[in-house]
Amino acid sequence: MARSVDPKAKKIETDSKLGDISARLQDLDSRLSAEKKQTAQAEKSSAQYRGAADYSKGYRLASEFVAGVLVGAAVGYGLDRLFNTLPLFLIIFLLVGFGAGIVNMSRAANRTPPTPDELARMPKPADDEDEDK
Amino acid sequence: MVNDPIHQFRIHPWLGPWNVFGHEIAFTNSNFYMGVIVAVVVGFLLLASRPKALVPGRLQSVGEMWYSLIRNMVENVLGHDGAPFFPLVFSLFSFVLVANMLGMFPYFFTVTSQVVVTASLAVFVVALVVVVGLYKHGLGWFKLFVPSGVPLAILPVISLIEVISFLSRPISLGLRLFGNMLAGHIVLKVFAGFVVSLVALGIGGVIGALAPLAMAVALTALEFLVAFLQAFVFAILTCVYLNDALHTHH
Repeated sequence: MARSVDPKAKKIETDSKLGDISARLQDLDSRLSAEKKQTAQAEKSSAQYRGAADYSKGYRLASEFVAGVLVGAAVGYGLDRLFNTLPLFLIIFLLVGFGAGIVNMSRAANRTPPTPDELARMPKPADDEDEDK
Repeated sequence: MVNDPIHQFRIHPWLGPWNVFGHEIAFTNSNFYMGVIVAVVVGFLLLASRPKALVPGRLQSVGEMWYSLIRNMVENVLGHDGAPFFPLVFSLFSFVLVANMLGMFPYFFTVTSQVVVTASLAVFVVALVVVVGLYKHGLGWFKLFVPSGVPLAILPVISLIEVISFLSRPISLGLRLFGNMLAGHIVLKVFAGFVVSLVALGIGGVIGALAPLAMAVALTALEFLVAFLQAFVFAILTCVYLNDALHTHH
């Protein structure tokens, strides 16, 4: 029924639509630039965040390696105290601990657990059926 | 004395010490802040979950984010049968996070800057991994230390390395948290100390103090990030280690 109205009315409608579109384009432009500014700002703060995340990753690798060597030295020293053979086991287990540190480090580097924002982007687990009880 | 960067980590007995079975036990500032941490976690979560609104308010949103961050983590790293460990991981994360964050307040004591605390948490986690592994897989769990497909000649060395590597987990887990908190707080204190000493020099010192002041402000921001990230890393490594116990891939 609305189709059968006289063409004049229809023309006015399209015109107003065109005007609407240009207004909307302008609106979109302003909104886009505002958003660009916002993302630039967010990127800036996330760069600092990234820095802290990288720092913690590096610290993690270092601590894995140091922990391996420390444990090796402790085990070797303990065995030496036990058998009164002071430098022998200390040397052996320092070397083994060195190896363990390298293994730790390569494992930590290969299998990095997700960072907080990676975790946020992962699919959410399906809600339990009984959760809303 | 005022600028002593180590002074902030000193433990003072507040009550006691009492003699308990031959051990000197005292209620210290560290104990007090641990109690505060638990009170903050419990109080905040109770307060946040009280409205029970379908559309959460601000406080409830934070509580839900807190909850779902760890829930996501447990589901994604441990899989569905990791659900029983959610309360443990959530408690560990909350304790470490609030301990780190409370430590950022001036004059507050940082519980996680004591190696005793972080090492206890780490040893507890790894001991739990051993118990869960033995419970789930029996003695077959020890195959974790005997990787498959290794020539027999070098197998003893590899096993030894694997054992040491496993033993080093509590050390690296505890040391990392402790080291991050200790180093961060010392560096903050040192830069803040520069400001105080330079200002004491007079007008030239005040201008010179602007650089360490700016540094201290930047470091404070970094320390907040580190406080969160270290709590997160502690929780996710707990999940990763528990995953080794639940699903042995050998």
